[in-house]
Amino acid sequence: MSKKSTQVPRRQFLKTAVTAAGAAVMAPTIIPSSALGRDGAVAPSERIVIGGIGIGNRGTYDLGCFLEQKDVQFTAICDVKETRRLAVKKLADEKYGNEDCKMYGDFRELLDRSDIDAVLIATGPNWHATMAMNAARAGKDMYCEKPVTKNISQSLILAETMRRTGRVFQAGTQRRNLPHFAFACELARTGKLGALKKVFAHPAGMQAMMSGWLVPETEPDKEVVDWDMYLGPAAWRPFNAKLLDGFNFEKGGGLVGGGVLEWGSHCVDLCQWAVGDCLPPVEYDPPKDGQLVARYENGTELIFRETGWIPLGSCPVRFEGETGWVEAGDSGKLVLSSPELLAGRTVDEIGGYPATYHVRDFLDCVKTRSKPKGNADAACNAHIACHAANIALHLGRQVKYDNTTHQFVNDEQANRLRSEALREPWRV
Amino acid sequence: MNIPRHVIRVISILALVLAATFPSVHAFDGPAAPEKEQELLIVLRSDAPNADKAIACKNLAIYGSGAAVEDLAKLLPNAELSSWARIALESIPGDEASEALRTATDSLEGKFLVGTINSIGVRRDATAVDSLTPRLQHADAEVASAAAVALGRIGNAAAADSLRKSLAAAPANIRTSIAEGCVLCAERFLSEGNSAEAVAIYDEVRAAEVPMQRIVEATRGAILARGQDGIPILVEQFQSPQKPLFQLALTTAREFPGSDVDNVLVTELIRATPDRGALIVQAMADRPDTVVLSAVLKAAEQGPKEVRLSAINALARVGDLSCLNSLLKIALDVDADLSQTAKLTLAEVPGEKIDTQIVELLRNAKGKIYPLLLQLVGQRRIDAVPDLLKAIDNSNKDVRSAALIALGETVRLEKLPVLISQVVSPKHAEDVPVAKQALKAASIRMPDREACATELASAIDRTKAVPTKISMLEILGAMGGTKALAAIGAAAKSNDPQLQDSSSRLLGEWMTEDAAPVLLDLAKIPTNPYNIRALRGYIRIARQFVLPEEQRAEMCQKAFDAASQTAEKKLVLDVLKRYPGLDTLKQAIKAMRVAELKDDATQATLVIAQKLDGKGVDVKALLAGAGLDKVKLEIVKAEYGSGATQKDVTDVLQKQVGDLPLITLVSASYNTSFGGDPLPGSAKQLKVQYRINGKSGESSFAEDALIILPMPK
Repeated sequence: MSKKSTQVPRRQFLKTAVTAAGAAVMAPTIIPSSALGRDGAVAPSERIVIGGIGIGNRGTYDLGCFLEQKDVQFTAICDVKETRRLAVKKLADEKYGNEDCKMYGDFRELLDRSDIDAVLIATGPNWHATMAMNAARAGKDMYCEKPVTKNISQSLILAETMRRTGRVFQAGTQRRNLPHFAFACELARTGKLGALKKVFAHPAGMQAMMSGWLVPETEPDKEVVDWDMYLGPAAWRPFNAKLLDGFNFEKGGGLVGGGVLEWGSHCVDLCQWAVGDCLPPVEYDPPKDGQLVARYENGTELIFRETGWIPLGSCPVRFEGETGWVEAGDSGKLVLSSPELLAGRTVDEIGGYPATYHVRDFLDCVKTRSKPKGNADAACNAHIACHAANIALHLGRQVKYDNTTHQFVNDEQANRLRSEALREPWRV
Repeated sequence: MNIPRHVIRVISILALVLAATFPSVHAFDGPAAPEKEQELLIVLRSDAPNADKAIACKNLAIYGSGAAVEDLAKLLPNAELSSWARIALESIPGDEASEALRTATDSLEGKFLVGTINSIGVRRDATAVDSLTPRLQHADAEVASAAAVALGRIGNAAAADSLRKSLAAAPANIRTSIAEGCVLCAERFLSEGNSAEAVAIYDEVRAAEVPMQRIVEATRGAILARGQDGIPILVEQFQSPQKPLFQLALTTAREFPGSDVDNVLVTELIRATPDRGALIVQAMADRPDTVVLSAVLKAAEQGPKEVRLSAINALARVGDLSCLNSLLKIALDVDADLSQTAKLTLAEVPGEKIDTQIVELLRNAKGKIYPLLLQLVGQRRIDAVPDLLKAIDNSNKDVRSAALIALGETVRLEKLPVLISQVVSPKHAEDVPVAKQALKAASIRMPDREACATELASAIDRTKAVPTKISMLEILGAMGGTKALAAIGAAAKSNDPQLQDSSSRLLGEWMTEDAAPVLLDLAKIPTNPYNIRALRGYIRIARQFVLPEEQRAEMCQKAFDAASQTAEKKLVLDVLKRYPGLDTLKQAIKAMRVAELKDDATQATLVIAQKLDGKGVDVKALLAGAGLDKVKLEIVKAEYGSGATQKDVTDVLQKQVGDLPLITLVSASYNTSFGGDPLPGSAKQLKVQYRINGKSGESSFAEDALIILPMPK
């Protein structure tokens, strides 16, 4: 990831984004920085007090984006691993020149702190939804890494919980705040490509990942690694270091999940944006020749495709309409069926997938109470599409999903895969 | 009570979510895949390890029926398998599973009881209300809280009644869960059209001594459930000294139906302190269909600065032609913050009528507003080229600069020569930097890139000034394309050193692989002072671009042949290592014959061979003929770990030693190969002290890295 790219000032970014895609694409949802007290020093009383939960590799990157913001005060870290607690405390204390960052092994103690406004949740995917819902019930806003949910029911409950509790939720789908992806989605959404026929997402590995129950190993001391808390809502199994450090632990609940969910929560999310954040597809075919085809109510196809991409970096998407197409990826570049689609505009290339703008969007919404770009409703729909595709993949047959009843049509087995019991005592 | 359809729709969706997400206890009850179920039950009834039983439970969630319930229920008190059993029991439709869960609550305790109650809640088992109600008084707060939320999930009249009766008297640590259960019941009542009951519950929670977040949830419900009658409560929240309630007002105002609330927002904006006013304006603008635009405009024109800034910003989303004059005036304000924010808004505020009006104003503009309008023409991509052409002859430099930049953003190909002439033969030398910037912007966005490149190449040929040529070559470089590549390639072969320098640099940064033959051609000219730069550019394409395997191997071979110096040959070896294949392996083996490359080529050979071996490619025959020098390798000491925690793995490593400076472990994972993770959760290293042919060496490897030991010097 380009460090340089994370340092583009917000205002310049907004200008760039507008240059790229016009006001309709990236209309700012923020109050000018000076009005929010972001310019220069920010009084402590005006800062957003943040706590971090489960800050590993990705979380450390996210945290860096938060610490860059002058109106943020990072004040607490919770992690089941002692090494991570110490590492993050060191990072925060060095940043602020004090010893104030408090450490917790149980996130509920961190959520109990009344001075904390919002939390950064960057645990493994196993915990995301359960922890997000706990944070919402505790009155915290949250930036939550993806994949956000493990199944369809969690996706629906997440959206409902955020509405009911009035909390600001931002999924870690940072590409929603990058101008070239925004431009590509805007072309699709506003009919510039003609009637939209196909949207393509790159799932990068359409296979289920089964976390399973591995050979028991000696469980570390609870202070070093709290295995019970690491398992959290996942069904019990003995300690094994491979699961502890496994990036994919319990992603999607075990029997289903994997690449479709890992990358889909980004690229399917972009496809959802391209189709106007409508309800998810209603039909999902099993995979064939490296493709899994799903269909929206209006007939537009969402295609999970492994190969055949123009080399534009990771997380490529492609949107095809009757009269044109566009493809975009993490290189920051766009490829269009015709330069005419630029309509006289240029699109600034911000390579990689910097999250700074996404974090800024979240912080602004914490203040204004507006909805950030990766809000819970958007995340819910994108995740349902991924989970439903995974269920078709797992069952090896077509499934049909009813967005009104939130059930698969005449498919008992598929319906049972919509949810999964959480280990005691956890609930969403 | 007047319940808006909007609210009913949202809440109906909520009800469907809650009702339909989970299997109904009255849903389909036939055995699913009975044969599969029987196989799984045999596992459960056997002495199979718990690991197998766990996965059997998970599969029974899909294939199990009432016939599996008894065996699953037996596992509910099992410390290792309880959670697995509930995965199935929570999922299997029918009364058997519900009854089993209810029955289990009589004997379970602690977290297993909590988990079972949670599952009852998920299943919305209405017949469990009687057994859950007494548990609201359970001594274990977690049990009582689970019962409260489960009753809330069930959400029928009986459940609501139990929760409401317990709300006031419950201990504080349980009261918050009872309040949560109450709110869940209220939401369900509302979705079913029983708004009066919903309002009553919301109000009871609001009056209870519960944490602020519960008050927030109940207040939101109390406002929305009352429909328009909820506005006074909304107003109370706007005026509340408590921040969470003010924030709730901002959120709820955004989702409130109708237009009455927009007038409330206007009133509250006037009444609020500036810091709150700035936030209220944003909420107003998030209601674009019904926003009172005149109020937002007024807030932009006058009042506290922070409210003005917020309002000016908000106009970018909801403003229209009526705001243009005010925004132009503010954009010329002496206050830099106000001016800058207004300029950003002017660039963004939508509407073709605004574009038309800007052009109208432009025709008679004088003074400071003239460059501002020109700037807006560019930012908004307004087609006003005749006016811009007139402005580039203006006597005022600021006007000319603004016009040139606007031309860069809007000019079409037929008028591109105007911009080219501003670069090649400017009337005002001081305009050249801006003209170059504008020409670049215009050229990059031209739909017909090749036609545009033709124009620029022609201009390069016509001009004699080398700096000007270089400027336009740089523009061609930024554009890319066939004609641009040809023009830059030709310049790189010219006799002018400056053109050679800049062109070879541009070729070295080319973004498409078609620059490869041009670079190789240049690299092969011995007299060209930049032939090494060209070769490195060629190798860069082989290293970085997505290419077919054969093409990359062929490029590596050509680069290797063209390289006159060892450094470039080593760069080629790096590319070979990065893309392991049989062709690249053969090239690396061949390179071992070059004396000064022997060490690097040997290492590349070993890396490629090991990677190919890991993919199951048989490389033994190639390696046997590679002439690799056999070595005597001894592991003196090897440790794996982090910090003070180190595991001695000398013996393990020594067992894998062969006659090459390469060690292949039994697994790609160090943890597996070395018998476990010495320090879970930490980044670890393997440190090796060794002797090769009697010479001592030492090296470290990151976890799971290939182990290729450097030859000691």
